[in-house]
Amino acid sequence: MKTPGKSLTEPKQGNPGDAEKNLQRTWKQDSASLIAGGIAHDLNTILTLIYGYSELALEGLDPSSENYANIRKIIQSADRAKAVTGQLLSLGMEADQVRMTVQVKDVLRETLEFLRPLVTDSIIFREEILTPEVSVSADPVQLYRVFINLARNAIQAMEERGGTLTVTLDTRKGAEMSNLKAGTQAADKYARILFADTGPGMDENTAARMFEPFFTSGKQNMGTGLGLSVVYGIITSIDGQVSVITEKGRGTAIELLIPSL
Amino acid sequence: MPGVMIVEDDLPLRELLREALEKRKYTVVTASDGREAMLKFRPSVIDIVITDLLMPEEDGLSVIMNVRKVKPETKIIAISGGGKAGPGSYLTIGKTLGADQVFSKPFLPSELVQKVREILG
Repeated sequence: MKTPGKSLTEPKQGNPGDAEKNLQRTWKQDSASLIAGGIAHDLNTILTLIYGYSELALEGLDPSSENYANIRKIIQSADRAKAVTGQLLSLGMEADQVRMTVQVKDVLRETLEFLRPLVTDSIIFREEILTPEVSVSADPVQLYRVFINLARNAIQAMEERGGTLTVTLDTRKGAEMSNLKAGTQAADKYARILFADTGPGMDENTAARMFEPFFTSGKQNMGTGLGLSVVYGIITSIDGQVSVITEKGRGTAIELLIPSL
Repeated sequence: MPGVMIVEDDLPLRELLREALEKRKYTVVTASDGREAMLKFRPSVIDIVITDLLMPEEDGLSVIMNVRKVKPETKIIAISGGGKAGPGSYLTIGKTLGADQVFSKPFLPSELVQKVREILG
């Protein structure tokens, strides 16, 4: 599959004088996770109230009535908000990961099966599982969250004009890796997962900031801006690497490299 | 009827949980933080304490420890909506300190009431 344009990797390292910038960036991300955690705490309390009063309101209602259906929709909206607070709490949260051996293709397929009914016919999913038996040491829930976020970003990019999301799974030998971050020791083998869309692509400035917490490209329906910072946090916490290949007008591919077992 | 203490700094949530439990005929005492909880805690009245963990003044972890000192057989349910460490981490600490059950917000009050019923038998 042809991937577009130039390659950008986050974060850049290695130049003298960048130490202060990296420190500021670390502080910014620590502050972001502190703020995010506080917001999530308050939101979870409010959500409990929404669930609770909705539940009380359902009591005594005829399940076939319109009011019953409307209150069920309130509860469904609260479910969506709960998922967002889950993402907020994921920022910087390494302590709660329960790592185990995970078959990557199983989580990929589950992701696509979950999302397939939610997209229009104008968006096509393609699987390229080139190496089926690839496993990594990861928390399956967190890995699922990563794949959902990447797939959703690709889908959102293609919502206006349709397109194809291609998900590729294969492997790379550590010795073949030319784009490892400076100072990183290569693992023997990596699982390589690629999410590539045929959407509008990004300019260099947007691509350079896409993993920042709360950064969005400015379109109203592009979400809270947390998804990709969550992806970055989870993948780097399991010694993986995230790269972006994008070109305006040609689409975006996000490559994950995770040490495989 | 068994006595329940609710320790929760959010007033609307405190009142919602009070309503849910009083509807099921429990005797309910409420407190807005750990300090107030220990001032109001009566071993002869309270059989179970439901406490939020992250609260201003004195937090839920100190409630758990203090209740265990005063009346060790009191049942305790810890609840948390998270913070920087996430609800899972606080709830793990709560369990380690002696909570009988932990709940992550958001939850349905009916689930909490069901758990109270199960724990008290």
